[in-house]
Amino acid sequence: MKSFGTVRATLRTDGAVHPGRLLGRLTELHRLALLIVALAAVAVGCSGGQSATDATSNPDDWEAVLNAARGQTIDLYMWGGSSEINRFVDRTYGPILEQEFGITLNRVPVADTVDAVNKVLAELQAGRNEGGSVDLIWINGENFYTLRQANALVGDWALQIPNARFVDWDSVAVNRDFGLAVDGSESPLGSAQFQFVYDSARIDEDSLPRSYIELGEWIAAHPGRFTYPAPPAFHGTRFVKQAFYELTGGVDPWLGSFDETAFVEGSAGLWDYLTEINPDLWRSGRTFPPDIASLNRLFANGEVDFTFTQLPGGIQAEIDAGVLPATARPFVFDTGTIGDFHYLAIPTNAGDSEAAMVLANLVLTPTLQAAKLDPTNGWGDGLAISLDLVQGEDRIALQRVMDNLAGAAVSFDRLEAVRLPEVNQEYTLRLEHDWDVFIRQSRLAG
Amino acid sequence: MALIVATILLPLVPLVIQSFTRGYVFPQLVPAEWSTRAWSIVLATDGGTWKALGWSVAVAATVTALALLVAVPAGRVLGLRTFRGRRVLEFLVLTPLLVPAVAVGIGLDITFIRLGLSGTFWGVVLVHLIPAAPYAVLILAGVFANYNEDLEVQARTLGAGPLNVLRHVTMPAIMPGLIVAGFFAFIVSWSQYVLTLQIGGGKVLTLPVLLVSTASGGDVAITGALTIVYALPVLALLVVTSHHVVRAGLGVTGT
Repeated sequence: MKSFGTVRATLRTDGAVHPGRLLGRLTELHRLALLIVALAAVAVGCSGGQSATDATSNPDDWEAVLNAARGQTIDLYMWGGSSEINRFVDRTYGPILEQEFGITLNRVPVADTVDAVNKVLAELQAGRNEGGSVDLIWINGENFYTLRQANALVGDWALQIPNARFVDWDSVAVNRDFGLAVDGSESPLGSAQFQFVYDSARIDEDSLPRSYIELGEWIAAHPGRFTYPAPPAFHGTRFVKQAFYELTGGVDPWLGSFDETAFVEGSAGLWDYLTEINPDLWRSGRTFPPDIASLNRLFANGEVDFTFTQLPGGIQAEIDAGVLPATARPFVFDTGTIGDFHYLAIPTNAGDSEAAMVLANLVLTPTLQAAKLDPTNGWGDGLAISLDLVQGEDRIALQRVMDNLAGAAVSFDRLEAVRLPEVNQEYTLRLEHDWDVFIRQSRLAG
Repeated sequence: MALIVATILLPLVPLVIQSFTRGYVFPQLVPAEWSTRAWSIVLATDGGTWKALGWSVAVAATVTALALLVAVPAGRVLGLRTFRGRRVLEFLVLTPLLVPAVAVGIGLDITFIRLGLSGTFWGVVLVHLIPAAPYAVLILAGVFANYNEDLEVQARTLGAGPLNVLRHVTMPAIMPGLIVAGFFAFIVSWSQYVLTLQIGGGKVLTLPVLLVSTASGGDVAITGALTIVYALPVLALLVVTSHHVVRAGLGVTGT
């Protein structure tokens, strides 16, 4: 608006000097201004009004939800970096939604889930409380925390959808997301567990480090051959948090709410450990890969000897895609690895919330959970449902997939045995913040 | 000429190679495994590439047309008239290029949501005009600075109406500039990522938005293939327009 004032001022000065010529010039500028205004008006007109939506149907009356959902288009916002996962979603859920429920699936790929979160928050801030553009987000942890704090998620529904009966909602791992109570405001899509990946053609399985202490020794003996993504990149934060658990004697002291004194005292050993290994990291620890994709690339190119995965079904899909070498294998530390669930959440202003519920319910179908777990279908994502709650043929089918995962996976029993829970979100944020201060910045200073 | 073509095309060669490989990693000099997997995924009819290409073409073409519509009169005034404050006006035209797009986008997003423009085709077109229009105005101001208005007067004296003057005198004279300005507006719109993401919100899913989300997965073969899909239309346009520019350059300009 300031610029407009300046233009006017300019014209006035101008006019005072050449009153005669002002008129012609003004007209030309005027036309320009009019044109812009007209274009803006056309654009506003063309965009049309957003379709107003009724209040979200109650998932208790599932028939009503299905009826309301018919004809809707779900805008599913999810990380779009894996073509295999994208294809799985489009080709597995898309046709079923269309043929059985009359719903169109519009998968919106984002480079980072936080883009979708910001979209929702911006719309709510602008007062768009219904007919919003995001219907369903693939989400967990920090992003869930953000939207939940802002009261931006529909609550309760996840406990009431029909297939919620397959979900072990009594488990803390499911009903708390990074320590925050879920309260039915998101429904699980799958599960993940942090694993290391090595190349069996390069390293003998027996010489693998099996704890952070052993990893420290391994790094000292092989300088430049290890690194981790810089927190807050997801896998980087995981790597640091897991080290925090092990070096402070386990996860138990951290399961409650955030304790400043205990954290500062306990984490001192972690920063000592990370500072000590830092000079022997890739590029002497002067820089870190920004994300897991970059670390995978370093690993595939033979620049480092380890990368990470979150897929309980194993890394066969990434091997098939050529992202990881054929001889890559996942393994876990004896001292435990963090497992967690990831979810689907519906923003309060979602325009097609019924269709979103139908999809969230559909993904919990045991046969579709089995298909998602099988990496030959492109994903290898862990189960969101509990095997114990599934009966009959579905259970046999699930068990079969679990037993027949290709060699590029850690066995389910082994994963189960070393699984550790997530802790309160405050610990995560604090670890990320302190890593930045104690590791990244001190490295710059030193 | 050959050197120019080579400079433009050489960077694409590794991408083409990359897009036909699977697991092409250091220290392989020649890829160990060739594969059309990436292309079959990228070109699959249900993969989203074609839809993104459609959005990109529609948005960029509309932006180009609107930018020229604004730029021809604006460029004419700035190029032909001398008046106090012209420099200030020129600076104001440039200001959208000086402010980072992210800063503009965040503020505009809220406004656009209120106006119902967020997530719509016209919203994205409007926001692309912010960086695209200044280029077109500046180029055409340069063109009109070398334009001789007397030709129009002569044509009028010889009995031509305003439309005939426009068609037979003005347009041929400024055509090369018009094409270059249009080409710039097109490229600026074609390459917008941040503004498209903010205003388009995933609904208007242009190629850069698809490309960045794909690249975040680190599959170099697919990223390579998609990059080529992204680059080819602009290269084609460059070939077509450069031809026109050269031909038109032999015509009426150069006063």
